[in-house]
Amino acid sequence: MEVVTAKVVTLKRVAAVVGFASLMLGSTQSWSHHAFGAEFDPNRPLILRGPVTKVEWVNPHAWIHMEHTNEAGEKEQWMVEGGTPNTLLRRGLTRKSLLPGTIIVVDGYQSKDRSMRANGRDVTFEDGSKIFLGSSGTGAPKDGRDSKER
Amino acid sequence: MKMLTKLLWSSGPLLIAVLANAAVPDLSGTFNVATLTPLQRPVEFGDNLYLSREEAEQITEAEAQTIAARSATSDPDREAPPEGGDGSAGAAGNVGGYNTFWIDRGDDTFAVNGKFRTSIITEPANGRRPGLVPAAQQKSAARSASFRRPNSGTAWWLDQTGPGPYDNMEQRPLPERCILGFGPVAGPPIVPTLYNNVKRIVQTADHVMILAEMVHDARIVRMNKAHRPENIRTWLGDSIGHWQGDTLIVDTTNFNDSPALRGASRDLHVIERFTRVDAKTVHYSFTVSDPNVWQDSWSGEYPWPQTDDKVFEYACHEGNYALGNIMRGARILEQDIEGSAASGGEE
Repeated sequence: MEVVTAKVVTLKRVAAVVGFASLMLGSTQSWSHHAFGAEFDPNRPLILRGPVTKVEWVNPHAWIHMEHTNEAGEKEQWMVEGGTPNTLLRRGLTRKSLLPGTIIVVDGYQSKDRSMRANGRDVTFEDGSKIFLGSSGTGAPKDGRDSKER
Repeated sequence: MKMLTKLLWSSGPLLIAVLANAAVPDLSGTFNVATLTPLQRPVEFGDNLYLSREEAEQITEAEAQTIAARSATSDPDREAPPEGGDGSAGAAGNVGGYNTFWIDRGDDTFAVNGKFRTSIITEPANGRRPGLVPAAQQKSAARSASFRRPNSGTAWWLDQTGPGPYDNMEQRPLPERCILGFGPVAGPPIVPTLYNNVKRIVQTADHVMILAEMVHDARIVRMNKAHRPENIRTWLGDSIGHWQGDTLIVDTTNFNDSPALRGASRDLHVIERFTRVDAKTVHYSFTVSDPNVWQDSWSGEYPWPQTDDKVFEYACHEGNYALGNIMRGARILEQDIEGSAASGGEE
């Protein structure tokens, strides 16, 4: 009986090791500068496509400005919320990292105040590749001019 | 002798400062405290403080794979996320957060004396904060009932009596208002977070400053002084320090009603210890007590690795568009219900 119990404990521990990082993420993700759930409306999902017009590399969260053309053919000026730019600065971010004119695709939810602001749930180039790489030590961000660059 | 006396008189303060500094270890430097080891131990590990080297390597590898998966190319023709929310939990509150590339929580778990750890907390033995005292439990439950509901995109708080979570900007959490970073990044105690984990220590004979990058929180530790009168209370508390052998002991009290440490009260008391281990590491440990909140005191420790990185400017208020969006958004959601009620409940 003791052997069985020990085996169960060991299995749980193995599972915990595999999920350790996500457990940690779970414990800290409830903390952030602000809850995106307070700011964005789950009933207003959207997908935006168009050129970057300006980037505000500001804290606490960066804002990417872009021009989206809606179904009626009208041009709309949207702002997309990201995270802290300081993390990207450590990975080599420069003022040329995401230049105006670069076509991006953004999915997210509109701000509850119904202004043209959204969270950048997933921000990619038009071919779907991520604008920056995902970890410290995995390289500097791409310059944004070549959407095929990997 | 006369000459020496004259010299001491003329350069007294400077000389004393130099001598005092020479006698103690130098903690100054910039540190990146990011780690995959959590503050609280996952319950599966029970009272086990240690990870084997193999387990530590598996965790590092699993994290690298997670990041690689999240860095993969998305469907360029993807549609908008689901109507009604994407089910995200925590701060991502049913709408998702942002890409992983914004996050920097370290690449691996930390080790102390060569042994990898399951948690920062070392006492109690289960590596988790002690239970709340009854009054704190009631306060927490009342707060959850009044202020925390899933994000439905409606002004649900209008259906309840008492204050709602968006009635006043001063009700909003301190990090959202750029008052203090979350974590807490500047402590006390100082806890690693999702990003902005860089700290800087500046040391003189009579002060030690601990600067956290997030929200540029700076704690000024006054050396060999008594605490201020107890009616003088601040966000970060009153930190005083002294050397005990080669260890800097920092004692912090005199918090206002909202310390950065989640759930703590104005009677929070934190003792921190900073010890220079080698040219590249400072060991940090702490003990937290707050009789209004926790049934017992709790302690933790982790190393602070020195880095060549710089602490960058934060300037939180200037770019904090989110707070305005949140408050305006709440007013608009309220108008949806109040406007509907005024027109007889019809759309």
